[in-house]
Amino acid sequence: MATSEGFQFPKEHSFPPFYTPQINLSTRHAQLTKWSSLILSYCRHHSIYRLSLSDATNSPSSPAYPLFNNEAINRRLSPSYVKEIVNFMKKDGRAEWYGSDKNEGGGGDVVWIYWRTPEEWAGVVEGWVEETGNKGQVMTVYELTEGETTRGSEFWGLDQELLIKAIQVLAKKGRAQTMGGEENLGVKFF
Amino acid sequence: MSRKGVGLAAFDRSRLTSASYANHGTALRTTNAQALETQLSVFRSLLQQFSQQHGKEIRSNPSFRAQFARMCTAIGVDFLAASASHEGGGGKGGDSSIWGQLLGRTVNDFYFELAVKVVEVCSKTRGENGGLIDVRKVRELLQLRQENQMGTGQKEGGGLTEDDVLRAVGTLKPLGSAYSIVKVGSKPYIRSVPKELNTDQSAVLEAAQVLGYVSVSMLMVNLKWARARAKTAVEDLVGEGMLWVDKQAGGEWDYWNPGFMMEGQEGVGFGG
Repeated sequence: MATSEGFQFPKEHSFPPFYTPQINLSTRHAQLTKWSSLILSYCRHHSIYRLSLSDATNSPSSPAYPLFNNEAINRRLSPSYVKEIVNFMKKDGRAEWYGSDKNEGGGGDVVWIYWRTPEEWAGVVEGWVEETGNKGQVMTVYELTEGETTRGSEFWGLDQELLIKAIQVLAKKGRAQTMGGEENLGVKFF
Repeated sequence: MSRKGVGLAAFDRSRLTSASYANHGTALRTTNAQALETQLSVFRSLLQQFSQQHGKEIRSNPSFRAQFARMCTAIGVDFLAASASHEGGGGKGGDSSIWGQLLGRTVNDFYFELAVKVVEVCSKTRGENGGLIDVRKVRELLQLRQENQMGTGQKEGGGLTEDDVLRAVGTLKPLGSAYSIVKVGSKPYIRSVPKELNTDQSAVLEAAQVLGYVSVSMLMVNLKWARARAKTAVEDLVGEGMLWVDKQAGGEWDYWNPGFMMEGQEGVGFGG
């Protein structure tokens, strides 16, 4: 488990039937719940914001590969079951198909894993803006995720698209306004 | 042979005799009752004193608690049943709550609180184990929880024993609850769904408890069962949510005891 990098897998990860979709409905529900919380804590630990399901299940180079494949006990999760788990998480608002909000259909291969939802990220950003006295300032998305001023904040290194989703949440509440083009999106906080 | 009195005086005499017998009887009974009452009140106050003095220890020291429980059992005091029936029965007279009062509520409160926690664990894990959980596991989970809580400042509370958990489940009985203790193999389990296991199902669970998992052919070989019988027992248990299916074992399906999911790492490594 060299790639798990300090992540302590729970015991069910070494439980062989955990990788077989359970027949019994209530067992299945318990299993989905366990997978959901495992995926969330794994992604949080590794700062993973979105997953390609085909990579995560098939390609050992994917950071999420050790999550869905336990080579020590020779068990793996099938892509179709991962899909079911993702749809289960979606009901709790903890996952979203990438592009599903842009009329691209969704249900594809890439999925947002919301160990923090855009709303929760919006709260984090808002808290930072208030704490650091950046109200009224204009900042670019790049500055927010990569810049020197935000280094050490929780959203430093955050997926830019996810940050934009969070900013849109703030904009809807009238706490921020976006300006500029796609390439160099700026934000003004109120 | 005694000579029977014949005159009228004989009636008087017999009336007198029986009256004096009755008097004597009453006198004896009163002294007896008085003696008993004194004994009881002495015993009562001693027991009360004891439980007040050692209340903290009863709560916090598992071996002391076990000893105390054993002592109560030895002298015929079932403090749990007594206080529980008081809670449920509603005014069956002072008699039913007497032990609850005597023991200063420390002991039964301890077990009632524990029972609530046991119920929480059972209902939280019901989805994954079908409502059948090893007493040892419950104890481990509760102990873990207690230790976590102690980390946040609470100093009270030592260990828990399996005996404590069993007694706590016992306190639930008067509530007409589904909670009961069943033996699977030699180990006590808490069953939180009202479901009877037949002997075949118990045998399968027992095997799965020892090995971690079973398969139909394992049951056929080891228990000398026909395929249909083994299949039925296993499928019933899957239907109850008490076994998990593993279809990636390479050939036949394996059926796992969900308890192994919570066990230490020694539970895995085989199969495949």
